[in-house]
Amino acid sequence: MDPLTLAIHATPAFVASAVEFVEATTIVLAVGVTRGWRAPLFGTLAATGTLAIVIATLGVALVAIVPEHLLKGVVGALLLLFGLRWLRKAALRFAGIVALHDEELAYQREVAELRAQGLQRKKFDWIGFLVTYKAVLLEGTEVAFIVIAFGAAGGTALTAATVGAIAAGLLVIAVGAALRQPLTMVPENWLKFGVGAMLCSFGVFWFAEALGMAWPGDALSIPLIVVAFLAASWLAVRMLKAILPQGAEVEARNV
Amino acid sequence: MFRGISSTLVGLLFEDGQLAIGALLALAITWALATSGGDAAQQIVGWVLLVMVLVLVVANLYRAGLIARARVSSARR
Repeated sequence: MDPLTLAIHATPAFVASAVEFVEATTIVLAVGVTRGWRAPLFGTLAATGTLAIVIATLGVALVAIVPEHLLKGVVGALLLLFGLRWLRKAALRFAGIVALHDEELAYQREVAELRAQGLQRKKFDWIGFLVTYKAVLLEGTEVAFIVIAFGAAGGTALTAATVGAIAAGLLVIAVGAALRQPLTMVPENWLKFGVGAMLCSFGVFWFAEALGMAWPGDALSIPLIVVAFLAASWLAVRMLKAILPQGAEVEARNV
Repeated sequence: MFRGISSTLVGLLFEDGQLAIGALLALAITWALATSGGDAAQQIVGWVLLVMVLVLVVANLYRAGLIARARVSSARR
């Protein structure tokens, strides 16, 4: 696979998956720190196994059975809908209308809830197991969707998207394991802003391809579309800041 | 996966119906243009969709800003 194809298809999947892995890692860390590491590690492994089965059956069947143009059309439309939601929320967060997602706050809330549940040292911690299983499974299915979406072209694109997601997972898990605290240094809103633009761009690209359009330069059009989405969204953020009166952003959230 | 898709659709439809309806309308217009407009139209549908979605994003956020400003103004009164 040439480096350009790898960069185009692996980077979006890497960035988008990293956001999901950070959210899952926060919960696994919260469970591990408050209730011990055995149950959350089993929960994570069980969820990973479940995901592998789901992807091996549903994902492969989807790519192998559904005609390529139909898959691109459906995935393109879904990507656009997903991406618009991410992009809108990130723009509203940048403008101050919606509160920024706070990984430290999410971690502290999870820790408080888990402490309130109590712990019996001698028994297997089923609460810790189920909390991590559910979190990893839910965030993992989003990663699976991201991989299928970015790899909808099949072949090398699917391989690159898978590589990107695995690399993101390994990096986030390694940093989380080393620090043993929530990954607050990850600029989540910037990532969501960028990922939203990328999801929308891939959505527009796949949907038009499904309808028979040949983009100039094929996949080379994608960076151009991403830039258009980023520019329009950033313009909208500036516009939002200009619309709201000085210092009214936090006020706007609470009314 | 299905939970993610359904929560996104529900979120779009109920949290911000204008954006969901606008996006679905843009996709429908693009599809209609590609199927009824011939080969020439088929080769520009992507750009048409891109422009429609960009306008939709800016218009939707502008509307969100106006709503937030109205809320702040009425709360201050």
